[in-house]
Amino acid sequence: MTTRAGREYILSLVAIVLGLVAGAVLMLLSGNNPLLGYLYLFRGGLMNIERLGNTLATATPLIFTGLSVAFAFRTGLFNIGAAGQMLIGGLCATAVGLTFPWSRPVLLAAMLTAALAGGGLWAALPGWLKARFNVHEVVSTIMMNWIAFWTVFYMVPRYFKGPFLETESQKLPDTASLKTQWLSALFNGSYINLGIVLAIVFVALTAFILDQTTFGYELKAVGFNRHAAGVAGINVNRNLILSMTIAGALAGLGGATFYAGYASNMQIGVLPSQGFDGIAVSLLGANSPLGVLGAAIFFGLLHTGKGFMNAMTRIPPEIADTIIATIIYFAATSIMVERVLDRLKRRRAGQLPVAAGRDTIAAPKKGGAR
Amino acid sequence: MLKRGISFVLVLVLAAAMFSGCGKQADKPEPGKPALKVGMVTDFGTIDDKSFNQGTWEGVLRAGKEFGLETRYLKPVGTTEADYMKEIGNLSDAGFKLIVCPGFKFETAIFQAQDKYKDTKFVLIDGYPHKGDWAPVVKENTVSIFFAEHESGFLAGLAAALQLKEGEFGFIGGMEIPPVQKFNWGFQQGVKYANTNYGTNVSMKAENVIYQGTFDNVAAGQQLAAQMYDRGVRAIFTAAGGVGVGSINEAKARAKAGKEAWIVGVDVDQYGEGVYEGNKSVILTSAMKYIDVAAYDMIKAEKEGKFPGGQILTFSAVNDGIGIPKTNPNLSDDVYKKVMDAFAKLKNGSLKVSDTQGDLLR
Amino acid sequence: MEYVIEMLNIRKEFPGVVACDDITLQLRKGEILALLGENGAGKSTLMSILFGLYQPDSGVIRLKGKEVRISNPNVANALGIGMVHQHFKLVHNFTITENIILGSETTRGLVVDTRSAARRIRELSARYGLNVDPDARVADVSVGMQQRVEILKMLYRDAEILIFDEPTAVLTPQEVQELMKILRGLIYEGKSVILITHKLKEIKAVADRCTVIRRGRLIATVDVETTSGEKLAEMMVGRKVTFQVDKKAKKPGEAILELDNLSVRGPGGVAGLKNFTLEVRCGEIVGIAGVDGNGQKELVEAVIGLRKADSGRILLKGNDVKDLPVRGRIARGMAFIPDDRHKYGLILDYSLEYNLILKDYYRTPFSRKGLLDHKAIRRHAVRVIEEFDVRAGQGAAATVRSLSGGNQQKTIVGREIDANPDLLIAVQPTRGLDVGAIEYIHRRLLEQRDNGKAVLLISLELDEILKISDRIAVINNGELVGVVRAAETDENEVGLMMTGIKRGAVS
Repeated sequence: MTTRAGREYILSLVAIVLGLVAGAVLMLLSGNNPLLGYLYLFRGGLMNIERLGNTLATATPLIFTGLSVAFAFRTGLFNIGAAGQMLIGGLCATAVGLTFPWSRPVLLAAMLTAALAGGGLWAALPGWLKARFNVHEVVSTIMMNWIAFWTVFYMVPRYFKGPFLETESQKLPDTASLKTQWLSALFNGSYINLGIVLAIVFVALTAFILDQTTFGYELKAVGFNRHAAGVAGINVNRNLILSMTIAGALAGLGGATFYAGYASNMQIGVLPSQGFDGIAVSLLGANSPLGVLGAAIFFGLLHTGKGFMNAMTRIPPEIADTIIATIIYFAATSIMVERVLDRLKRRRAGQLPVAAGRDTIAAPKKGGAR
Repeated sequence: MLKRGISFVLVLVLAAAMFSGCGKQADKPEPGKPALKVGMVTDFGTIDDKSFNQGTWEGVLRAGKEFGLETRYLKPVGTTEADYMKEIGNLSDAGFKLIVCPGFKFETAIFQAQDKYKDTKFVLIDGYPHKGDWAPVVKENTVSIFFAEHESGFLAGLAAALQLKEGEFGFIGGMEIPPVQKFNWGFQQGVKYANTNYGTNVSMKAENVIYQGTFDNVAAGQQLAAQMYDRGVRAIFTAAGGVGVGSINEAKARAKAGKEAWIVGVDVDQYGEGVYEGNKSVILTSAMKYIDVAAYDMIKAEKEGKFPGGQILTFSAVNDGIGIPKTNPNLSDDVYKKVMDAFAKLKNGSLKVSDTQGDLLR
Repeated sequence: MEYVIEMLNIRKEFPGVVACDDITLQLRKGEILALLGENGAGKSTLMSILFGLYQPDSGVIRLKGKEVRISNPNVANALGIGMVHQHFKLVHNFTITENIILGSETTRGLVVDTRSAARRIRELSARYGLNVDPDARVADVSVGMQQRVEILKMLYRDAEILIFDEPTAVLTPQEVQELMKILRGLIYEGKSVILITHKLKEIKAVADRCTVIRRGRLIATVDVETTSGEKLAEMMVGRKVTFQVDKKAKKPGEAILELDNLSVRGPGGVAGLKNFTLEVRCGEIVGIAGVDGNGQKELVEAVIGLRKADSGRILLKGNDVKDLPVRGRIARGMAFIPDDRHKYGLILDYSLEYNLILKDYYRTPFSRKGLLDHKAIRRHAVRVIEEFDVRAGQGAAATVRSLSGGNQQKTIVGREIDANPDLLIAVQPTRGLDVGAIEYIHRRLLEQRDNGKAVLLISLELDEILKISDRIAVINNGELVGVVRAAETDENEVGLMMTGIKRGAVS
């Protein structure tokens, strides 16, 4: 077990380092000094307590969408719909926040519950379609993204419009915001909010559910092999729907932290990019809750530091975006790194020179009896 | 799995410690008076959007070249106040002490930024700072710039009606936001003005006044335009960014096939966008806002120590902030002359265009 | 003596397991060398090393006396080594020609030259008596034909040394006969063959010599002609093997499972099982004999609750369980050993201990109030592993994927029998297993019977059915042909009934 964990540790680090190296090559090619670039990138995300707060604030919705994707993935489902679930979660939270004049704790609790329920129900539908009609969840969740997009497009101007603008909702009152005086003060006026606390709680909660409960046992069993799970008496369809629902609820909560924490109103016409970044976060985090936490913070750091790198160097924003995307790409493909490491090891093991030949084709991975 | 997660967190904490440590000394700006550096934060969309971002950036670049200033633009990750604030902070921290922000979406961000970065000056185009309640609070380090889009739309509507004399006109807007609405309402008034004063017979129907809802759905723009042309519309005024690009494409396809299809452009002179054969273009004329001029003027003023801080400026016919292009191959000289007459009247105040809906369509 | 391939003192270690420990294997030109060993003995690992899928930790490979290093399968191909895998690697919607040339296409300009390739394939096919139509689509041909396509793939690439990995596991008896002929043809044309298998019958039929390995070690290389089957089996398993099961006469008790006029729809709505009536009593094993695809699948799925029965009753200890879900039937004393252990029996990525509680995780002591009790799970696993002799490198925490086929099957058998079921349904419980494991599983099934439990055995292997059943129900086209006592019948009679010819029921 220890060797395995050590291997995972090395793999993710190598993946990140490779990503950074690829980014450095891009910077060199565009005529910039990569060392300076990275210095400013990381300083932009970390150099003072406010920026650190912003890094965490940026990471918060990513933690939720990452958890969402990872959770569904554990049941063998690919949730591409985190963006739409975020929107619906945000819409439900905003609706509650703008409608009820309750005291802050009650209001916040109600908003979060609404977001959880909204996102959950939004994802339950693709889950049900999958269970009942075997509709592929990738297709249905993508469709649901656009339904959410246009639902928000209609609902916000119709019911929650501000006095002037058609394109965004009214600003949420302070009692309905996850931004909190003491936390903002602690981080020097950054955009950090209670969402981060909530996110960490849910990281622990999902880890607990997956590893310690019979429910998690069932979910993972269905994810690994739904046929065997069914033969063993596990209700596969119920688990598919539940898994999607929980994944949606997590993304919905992410929406609440985004629209009622990081931002303070909803804009129409924007599908939040955090929904899709969640896929990369989940990959880099190896679909484990703690891994997702780490990966989301890393992504938050990149996104937060990017602007400062732009401002301090002559790297244009488009190149900077490309660099970030490259780092994410490499970081998310740790499987590739694994194969390369394997090859290197094999090569070193042999005493003879390598005979000619291209890359391994279709080598069966499990193949050999041991 | 568990270990992997912990390792991440550990690495990040370490990195945080490293960078925050060395950040402290380098953070402070150098003593003495540094040269002026001008920054810009883009709105939704890219820097080459042939519209708002591009116009602003061209003004910044021109000023930069002329006065030998360092210029830089940043592209926020999203469109929330927090995203804008981060980029403003990045520019300010990097020594860019004059920051131009195009778009009303910056309003609440600038409201905070003008207090948070007191040593930085802000130019906000198409909006004014407020804390979310639309009560303007323009501090000494901020200038807020508006355009009289209704006047610009008025002139374009007048020109189009005079040139085509009769038939149906249409309007395709992007999002239903004030600048776009004002273009629409001004355009309708321009058409009416031509009908009343020059005897033209141009009409607009409610079904042909549409806000698509985004600024980037090219396909939808094409489809909407096709439907309007099929309903017999002769010219469409598009104030819709990428949606308008789609409409222009549709018009070009029709023109190529020998059918009549006109577009009235927006923000900048879009004649070049509408060229479909040789130098023939579907762009009748364009309702222009001189965004680049506004950006340039503000930088120039700051350079000369005359930054109009605390003010809300309106660029209109009075200060040549709006208009239609100087050359319009698709307009006759007579039409252009009549439009210029109206422009002169707007300038001297003898002609007024309303910037509210009143009894106009949508 | 000239050797075409020599693998000298090969050692390969995986985490926790030494798969090959100082194994030497030498293949002469123009011979068929059998590689015999139980599942998990290290056969596949050794051949994967030869084919370049793994690198040995130590040891040398010589090709015609020259030392070589085989870093990947392409190198192996280039050296003239070809492998026919147990699971074919074919693209189903390609033609046979396209499959064969895939990866080494000859082109004319930009166009793949399938015509001359097809011509060559026809020649090869004729020369080796393979009888392959190059223009047929792989999806349309039989499994035996697919295997010949795999063989042709090797021949097309001018392989001199062909490795066959358990080639008969997927074939019908007739196809096995065909394959034996083909193998002899290959030798006649000067090729050399390594045949990986654990079936003694086949070795006796075609092999010249036989290398026996056991638990990663070389036992011996012997001449097949002068060595008896019993001797080979003993070398493979490491002790005397009894081919006869010790079946005591036993008087069955009351009925545990009663199927009453059961009808079940198969895939596509066609009738899969028609008015099927059968009972299985305490202390007996009832075998279902029949050619594959005659309603066995529908029968099993209906009984365990995976498929809805259209009409009739399924009585378990007198109660109708027809409308109960799978779990309800398990709770009432049903257990199930599926034929496809990877698909239906195990969660390969779960640990051994997790697999052992797959049907009971929600009950005490494995969980309380929805929380898993890992200590209890571990205790249970350790006990079952011990009792059922499951061998895993890392014990209870090992992922089941890393176990050999025999140990995977033992995991399932352990889980199902440990639940002490009143009715055990076993479908092809020994498929793909070696002699030792088969013997073990048969003994366990008989133990169930002797303990007064009921066993329903569904198998395609008539030998197995005849050997351990008390009564045999023959199924044909979804209908019960008849029930006969195992002691009073023989292969001929049952074989005849399997084709649908009735005989008066005896019981």
